[in-house]
Amino acid sequence: MLIRLLLAAWLCVIAAPGEAADVQNDQPTADAAKPGKKAKAKDQSKPNDPAKPKKQKKPKSNVPAPDELIDPDGPIDPNLVEQGDGGGGWRFSWKQHPSVRYGSVFRLDGQAKFQEDARSTYEGAVDVPGWELHRNRIGISGHLFKKVEYEVERELTEKELTDKDILAGVTPASHWKDVNVNLTFVKNAQVQVGKFKVPFGLDQLTGVTRNDFIFRSLGANYLAPARDIGAMVHGRFFKHGLNYWAGVFQHDGDNARSKKIQGGDQTFAARVTGMPFRKIASGSIAAIEVGSSFAISALSDDSFRPNGLRGRTVVSQDTFAEPVYVKGRRRRWEADADWAAGPFAARTEYTWVSDDRNGQGLGDENLPDARARSWYVAGVWVVTAEDKMRPLRPAADFLQGGWGAVEVVARMERLWYDSVGPAGVAFRNPRAETILPTGDRVVTVGANWILNRFTKLQVNVIREHLEDSDRNPVTNGGALWSRIVRLQFVL
Amino acid sequence: MLLNRARAFILVLAVAALLPRAVVSQTPAVDPSDALFDDTVLHDINLTINDRDLASLHVNFLSNEYYPVNFAWRGMSLQGVGIRSRGTGSRSGVKPGLRIDFDRYATEQRFLGLKSVIFRNQTQDPSHLRERLSMLFFRRMGMKAEREAHARLFFKNSYAGLYSIVESVDKVFLKKNFGEDTSNLYEFAFDNSVGHVPFVFKYLGSDANLYVPVPFKPETKENDTQPQFIERLIWTIDQAGDASWRQTIAEFLDLPKFIRHLAIESFLAEEDGLTGDYGPNNFYFYRYEGKSLFQFIPWDKSNTFWEAPSPNYFILRNVEDGPVDHRNRLVQRALKYPDLWTLYLDTLEECANSASAGATTGANPQPGWLAAEIQREYLQIRDAALADTLIFTNAEFEKAIADLKVFAAGRSDAVKAQVAAYRARGPLP
Repeated sequence: MLIRLLLAAWLCVIAAPGEAADVQNDQPTADAAKPGKKAKAKDQSKPNDPAKPKKQKKPKSNVPAPDELIDPDGPIDPNLVEQGDGGGGWRFSWKQHPSVRYGSVFRLDGQAKFQEDARSTYEGAVDVPGWELHRNRIGISGHLFKKVEYEVERELTEKELTDKDILAGVTPASHWKDVNVNLTFVKNAQVQVGKFKVPFGLDQLTGVTRNDFIFRSLGANYLAPARDIGAMVHGRFFKHGLNYWAGVFQHDGDNARSKKIQGGDQTFAARVTGMPFRKIASGSIAAIEVGSSFAISALSDDSFRPNGLRGRTVVSQDTFAEPVYVKGRRRRWEADADWAAGPFAARTEYTWVSDDRNGQGLGDENLPDARARSWYVAGVWVVTAEDKMRPLRPAADFLQGGWGAVEVVARMERLWYDSVGPAGVAFRNPRAETILPTGDRVVTVGANWILNRFTKLQVNVIREHLEDSDRNPVTNGGALWSRIVRLQFVL
Repeated sequence: MLLNRARAFILVLAVAALLPRAVVSQTPAVDPSDALFDDTVLHDINLTINDRDLASLHVNFLSNEYYPVNFAWRGMSLQGVGIRSRGTGSRSGVKPGLRIDFDRYATEQRFLGLKSVIFRNQTQDPSHLRERLSMLFFRRMGMKAEREAHARLFFKNSYAGLYSIVESVDKVFLKKNFGEDTSNLYEFAFDNSVGHVPFVFKYLGSDANLYVPVPFKPETKENDTQPQFIERLIWTIDQAGDASWRQTIAEFLDLPKFIRHLAIESFLAEEDGLTGDYGPNNFYFYRYEGKSLFQFIPWDKSNTFWEAPSPNYFILRNVEDGPVDHRNRLVQRALKYPDLWTLYLDTLEECANSASAGATTGANPQPGWLAAEIQREYLQIRDAALADTLIFTNAEFEKAIADLKVFAAGRSDAVKAQVAAYRARGPLP
């Protein structure tokens, strides 16, 4: 309750006319090292589209929103850093973020992200709170000597384990999110070390506060690895024409783990994105960016519980795909395309995962690989005619001469699980030779109202249809309908 | 036209009335699961399980994690069955008690019509017989109770010990025994943590969540647990005034049936039941559909035949003796009424007569029913029990059997003697 009151007070403060438009471009350059955020950065650096309608609105200022990136390829501009008081020495400023600086040598910015959800789903759903403080994160970021960028982010409301959980041997989720340093001595071969996102998947690598939807696609949430501890080299060439990331990680990401799932072990992952049509086409075609990712992980059966991937519904978190027993290698492959032109944008992504099942049969025999696949197609239209970017910047902020920006969004997706090989008699048990196919087909429609650079209101209506009626929590195999409203503050 | 139709309708009714209804009604419903609980034979059950799962089942015996197996019995096989370690005091990593869920991975999957069965490891009973004898005696006394039989359990054809197969108290059981399965079933979830205060049907307050899911753990309709009925029942048991108690409680409980349950447990010297040493324990509770009426269902009778070989287990144990805060409030209040008190004693006497039925003395003495049943079951399981030394030695097994026989020989007379003494005294003060 206290947090909600603080958030409400915060909203009042930031909604009031003030100096927000005067905020300096003082974004932490550590953000730029994130592979996913790099993918977003091209949104703001796309070549001008000649077909763009003349009437399109332009933002009042070129000041980025709180979680917006500056050009990651660009050098840290000491003039920009020094702007304001000018000169060296310690100083404190609070414009975009509270920031402590020492000349151009050191910088530390404070950050915060809050997301409050109101949710409703099907009748009888268990453990679905009507209200939830979905994210409550604080962090710091900055740089040392302009060549060493750092970032630390912590979730404040991660659920604690119960005594029963601990007795059952479940492990807690980490409160720490991004904790890393990025060394930029060589621009085309930057080195990032620490905890950050494994470079895999367009949707997963898109920052959650910038996403067009309240929830990422199911494939991004359950097949892509997400964060882990590791080291990565990354860079880009041809002015964003070709970007790469390649790294090794301790495990295969938070998404592959849960309280009861151990997850994969040592992981190698690589991702490449590019704009292949930029040189051979013009107009909106040139803006298409394509990407592909690959990851391979070791899989053990050290845990007595199944170590495969799981699938759950979007809001109610009902498990429609239980993990199966796996051992050997996990291979992930992904391909995506991202396009934006004027107020329109579209994305699509296909993900494929297969897990070895060496010695996992009831008679200890090898089983055919377990397989999971997903795809989605998503589209956005900015009704208020701003250029589509992530995050979207209103031409005129709410209560500052305008109504903010409004966009409507829609996404179709599917996530499904089965096993490879010839179809035999299929079973649901986690050591079945032929895994009974199960999946979730989801349609999401919604609208986003960006009041100003700090505040966003999102509304999503989600329809899910589970393909295996036996795992459908709604009787008679009906569809699951959910409605979510999210209020987001980003500092 | 209308008249003709009316005549035809009446004719149809008349013909229907003349149909041989007796033929229809006398056709017994065949329950395929009877074969699995056929107690005239020792069953063999083979579970095919991954080696790692089998090791984990023993190492992580405190976990309720399920493992998939193939289940085989009498040439029949079912794939994709879930098993897990189970039990409270009987949990064991040496010889895990098992819950077998045929529908774990497929909601509609059944085996002989059953959703699940329990494989009791009998780690608290060196004779292996107490529970099976007790449930059989409940049914012999006309009460609804779980069916049981013994089985040799094999993992991948390797002998894993002697188990008793126990019918699960679930929807299948409810439908078979009470004709309905659509209302709330609860398991009394006994809290055996150190220093706990046992729940003795004492009213804890008007918040229904004080009763559900602990100690009354929902087993059906987990999303619609209806705890308010439990709260009203407990209030009535503990708080309703004496003047209206019998009338009020009748809405919730069939008291004569409850007293019968109590008396059977008492005859069987049940140390961990409705009037157990640690407070009330080991029963399921079902509320009939559309009513406030609850039904007790007996569960886990591993601690019957307590103090055997002595047959003198006190028929008012933890009713007139034992710690006051362990005494069952429902029993305390019910046995104050002369008619229920008499019914309790009458039922104990009926138990005594039933257990000793067929006994003769003289030159060729014959054992009573209970003693004969012990001998029959002993001969059935003897070789399998002697081959299973995971928990008890062969000497412990043989001694426990001998103790049961002594108990059975003297229990009826001992109970009759106690009943006679207490008839003279009258109900609880």
